[in-house]
Amino acid sequence: MTGIRIGIDIGGTFTDLAMVGDGLTGFVLHKELTTPDDPARAVLDGLAVLLANETRSIAEVTQIVHGTTLVTNAVIERKGAVTGMLVTKGFSDTLDIGLEHRYDLYDLRIGFAEPLVERHARVEIDERMRHDGGVETRLDPQAAVMAVRKLIAEAGIEALAICFLHSYKNPAHERAARDAIAVAFPNLPVSLSSDVFPYMREYERWTTTTVNAYAQPKLDRYLSRLEEGLAAMGFAGRFDLMSSSGGIVTPDFARRYPVRMLESGPAAGVLMAAHHAERAEAATVLAFDLGGTTAKGAFVQDGAPLKSYEFETARSYNHRRGSGLPLRMPVVEMTEIGSGGGSLAHIDPRGLLAMGPRSAGADPGPASYGRGGTGATLTDANLLLGILDPGFFLGGAMALDEQKAAGAVAAHVADPLGFSLSRAAFGMHDVINEDIARAFRIHAAERGIDFRRATMVASGGGGPIHGTAVARKLGIPKVILPLGAGAMSALGLLVAPFSLETARSHPVALADLDADSFARIMTDMMEEARGELSRAGVPAASVRLTGALDMRFQGQGYEIECPLPDLADLGMVFAGLRQRFLAAYRAIFGNIVLDEPIELISWKVAGTGPKPPLDLSHAMPPGGAAVKGHRPCWLPEAGDYVSTPVYDRYAVQPGAVIAGPALVEERESTAFLRRGDRAMLDNAGNLVVAIDTAREARGDEAVAAGGRT
Amino acid sequence: MNRAHEEIDPIRLGILWDRLVSICDEIVEGLVRTSFSSIVREGYDVSVVLFDRDARMFAQGTRSIPVFIGTAPTMIRNMLSKFPPDSLKPGDILITNDPIHGTGHLFDISVLRPVFRGEERVGYSMTITHLPDIGGMGFSASATESFHEGIFIPVCRLYDGGELNTFILDLLRANVRTPEQVIGDVMANVGANELGGRQLLDFMAEYGVDDLRPVSEAVRRQSEAAVRSALREIPDAIYRNRLDFEGPSGPLELAVAIDKQDDGLVIDFSGSSPCVSTGINVPLCYSRAMALYAIKCATAPTIPNNEGAALPIQVTAPENCILNALRPFPSAGRHVVGHFVPPLVNGALAEVLSDRVQADSGMADILTFHGRHPDGSPMATLYFLSGGFGAMTELDGRSATPGPSNMAVVPVELWESRTGITIVEKRLVPDSGGAGEQRGGLGQIAVLRNDTGYPLKVFSMANRWQFPARGLMGGGSGSLRRHLLNDNPIPATGMQVLAPGDRLTIVEAGGGGMGDPRRRSRESVHRDVALGFVTEEQAREVYGLDKPLASRGS
Repeated sequence: MTGIRIGIDIGGTFTDLAMVGDGLTGFVLHKELTTPDDPARAVLDGLAVLLANETRSIAEVTQIVHGTTLVTNAVIERKGAVTGMLVTKGFSDTLDIGLEHRYDLYDLRIGFAEPLVERHARVEIDERMRHDGGVETRLDPQAAVMAVRKLIAEAGIEALAICFLHSYKNPAHERAARDAIAVAFPNLPVSLSSDVFPYMREYERWTTTTVNAYAQPKLDRYLSRLEEGLAAMGFAGRFDLMSSSGGIVTPDFARRYPVRMLESGPAAGVLMAAHHAERAEAATVLAFDLGGTTAKGAFVQDGAPLKSYEFETARSYNHRRGSGLPLRMPVVEMTEIGSGGGSLAHIDPRGLLAMGPRSAGADPGPASYGRGGTGATLTDANLLLGILDPGFFLGGAMALDEQKAAGAVAAHVADPLGFSLSRAAFGMHDVINEDIARAFRIHAAERGIDFRRATMVASGGGGPIHGTAVARKLGIPKVILPLGAGAMSALGLLVAPFSLETARSHPVALADLDADSFARIMTDMMEEARGELSRAGVPAASVRLTGALDMRFQGQGYEIECPLPDLADLGMVFAGLRQRFLAAYRAIFGNIVLDEPIELISWKVAGTGPKPPLDLSHAMPPGGAAVKGHRPCWLPEAGDYVSTPVYDRYAVQPGAVIAGPALVEERESTAFLRRGDRAMLDNAGNLVVAIDTAREARGDEAVAAGGRT
Repeated sequence: MNRAHEEIDPIRLGILWDRLVSICDEIVEGLVRTSFSSIVREGYDVSVVLFDRDARMFAQGTRSIPVFIGTAPTMIRNMLSKFPPDSLKPGDILITNDPIHGTGHLFDISVLRPVFRGEERVGYSMTITHLPDIGGMGFSASATESFHEGIFIPVCRLYDGGELNTFILDLLRANVRTPEQVIGDVMANVGANELGGRQLLDFMAEYGVDDLRPVSEAVRRQSEAAVRSALREIPDAIYRNRLDFEGPSGPLELAVAIDKQDDGLVIDFSGSSPCVSTGINVPLCYSRAMALYAIKCATAPTIPNNEGAALPIQVTAPENCILNALRPFPSAGRHVVGHFVPPLVNGALAEVLSDRVQADSGMADILTFHGRHPDGSPMATLYFLSGGFGAMTELDGRSATPGPSNMAVVPVELWESRTGITIVEKRLVPDSGGAGEQRGGLGQIAVLRNDTGYPLKVFSMANRWQFPARGLMGGGSGSLRRHLLNDNPIPATGMQVLAPGDRLTIVEAGGGGMGDPRRRSRESVHRDVALGFVTEEQAREVYGLDKPLASRGS
């Protein structure tokens, strides 16, 4: 591809920009402070600065790919549009009734996310579809128009969700209502539950639809400002957006389906991890990101991130699963736990050391930030252990206060437990490693993944510090610490292909399905995916179509996703369905053979365009002295502080080998190599670490226990 | 290299402990996903437990419903009294559905596997799940003696040194309604224990643990100490409470005296009504689990379940009072009465733990439907519907939320597709939450219409149709539960037949309120009226709202 391509990812603190293309070696990064009042400003300002720094012109830019937290923030901060809802008669309380389930049985005070549409802004419409798609009560479209008139007048709604029962089976009523409303109120944005994501289970489908409607006006205004600003700068290339499922989409698609822009930044980060892993020829990859408040993990297999169709946003109670809004839409599957640099240490009711989920956040932040924080955080522990350099945090941009860190760790951990400061700090460090490893084990077990042959790609401020230890605990033999780990998402935007997922609920017993009906439904979905991609300018010949079915034994309540073989011959695909399901079932649940009938529940087709090339070779400029000094670092295998070499990441030559224990510093993070680890710098500037997996947790613990006072 | 007598420090112990609990959680998830029993899937009526080689229980899954608290230690001792530990060999698997030593009814099967490292027995793994069927009269309270309630499998070897005893499976197959599903779930338990054993051995290798007993002992000791220290904060006294509930032929009574001395509790249910001849009697194992649950929520909710956490609390009841039923009193629906134990215990402790306890909840309906699908094939399925959750200080009760046990919503679209029974409407009931400074959760109403084209039997074991969820500290009661057939009131317990086209209306009870409703913030009262949770009339008369309300929406 000719010209320059730029990825722009908006994060909580920084808006990251990554530039690649003609005349550039590797990539160029720029960080601009995020402007929460108008995020478009940081994007446009950052773009101008980046181009000026590199003396390039906007006219050379052929494509900008954008990932934004705008939708996520609108939902979390409740700053979306006043949204109304039309709903089947008898069901206006579905959003309040929710899942009738407590996600914690012992904590009676658990919280739940409030619905986005207030109860008085939901109007029941006298219409009813049956579960087989037949009409029971015919819709009067004018009744829908009158209801909307009332909602605009009395509740002041700015967006509308139309949510009728069984619309995944027959969308006629939702569409008829929309068409009538469009005539009367042409400027009112309307989201249909049968269009946003046609899945069975009304609560989740309708919640998804309300999020879509809620974010629609805001995203539309934002994109318009951005498009105008880019045009004013003279930008004439393509402008595209990243979606939650890791594919890029057009602004038009984003405007129709804002809900699909949720968490697009983290999705892009996983794509970049996949890209690095592909270069390293790794089949199974664990993308691991450790930031200030949370740790995330995602698995990638054969270059493709695992997808899920369930996602929860806006968790309202200690990051707990179950406390947010449950959505149904295609996403890059991730597990997220409340472990991060700001995680606070405390002695739990058992009398044992625990980390998080409470976090000191960015403000006041860890005690060592010296901004008034008094809690003992992970960052404080890593500073005391000598892993972080008080004078080189964020490349020296922020000084860390060791005294304050020591005071906090003594007060909250060392003194109450009767430990030395260093043993306490290492305990905090190790508990976080365990918490993360445990979360990843459970995630892998749920998806039937054997991670012991995986490669980890670690990113975020804390990923390179904790990645090698987490990998060791999981028995993962190889860890890649990419260059630019602090801007993984912005880079990931540049490796994303155009893609579109479609999915439908169509429950049917395998025995009741014939090859023709199977082929008819599949072909229909394949056409839909191809059509959307062709509107985005992807030539039909370069679209790769893949399919999957969610199947189960009749009577079970959970389905497993069975990926389908090549869709070119649907007859063959149909003939092999039973065997596919049994194989997938056995892979997850072991060698259990049941004689129960099988049913298909959900059908999924994804279309993917070609992946843009991104050559990261020779990204590293040759540097000076690799070892910039030594500092005492507390090593569990020694049970004491040991003078440890500190390498300058930017000066290490490709092909050079670094043996642990060692610290490798770059601006946004520090890699912590333990004894037995061997790192080699590859020609893209990535540190590729071979982990000595024979040294397990026991090694840490056995020796570390000697540090007790 | 034996660490058996080495002190385990609080950092290492935390790491080992959390990992052991997580192993249980992981296996529970697998069991739930493969289960054919909807009550396992939606309600987590399933548990996974790990023991050391002395059969001391030290880890249990966290998402299971409270019925499994403290029951596994009794069950393993029961099993090992028949098959002594030294008689067990690698590849053995023991099973039983003994209700008295287990969880109170025949539906729950316990599956135990000794875990061997080479020839050395290092521990045990046990799983328990609620089977889809166990024969007899099905999941209902209609039996008059335990023999009607299904097949009782005494403790036996399902596998003997790795060899399956096919007779036991044949016996089950011959006695249940859905043999493939029942056998499928039993075998899923066998697989889960195999995984449990493997994980336990991996754990030992990974963390260099040669003997599980020191870890087990430390876990139990810390748990016991944490519970005792929480109990010490309660003033020494005897705390009493009683409550009425609906019996098969007139009201019945539960009574409790909680004797709190120093750091221990004795909970005595003397004074409760005697057993009855319908299947709602509660074996003591279940009463105990519910009492332990209530105490746990009010004192040390985050301490993981294990043998140590239960030690400071003794539970007693006279034999054959309704909370200590022995065979042959029937007990299939023991939860119907057993679920009153948490509010009973809560109410007793309200005056000293007012900020920790909860007003009564509206509880839930579990209806069993037997009939035919529209295509004529047989249908047996469950329908859940939750009442309102009880209020607590500074927290309104959540509407339509189950308590004290758990379950999950039955999506209308899923239900209709699966059964052909139409849900005509399903909505919250205004004014149904007990009034209070904190309002109780609202109940809900669901109208079900039999569109299957066949007669449909519905079995119900509902409560709170005569005695509402009570408020605490001056809070009002929630509204009552009601069942109607074609708009005519019908008993909320027993069996009804719905002819094609008949409509069954289920109105769920509201949760109790907390504190004086006149002290509720005026802003909250206004908001409840604006959202339609409370009518203007109740706002005026019960909450004492005098200012005119600004009109807002519907």
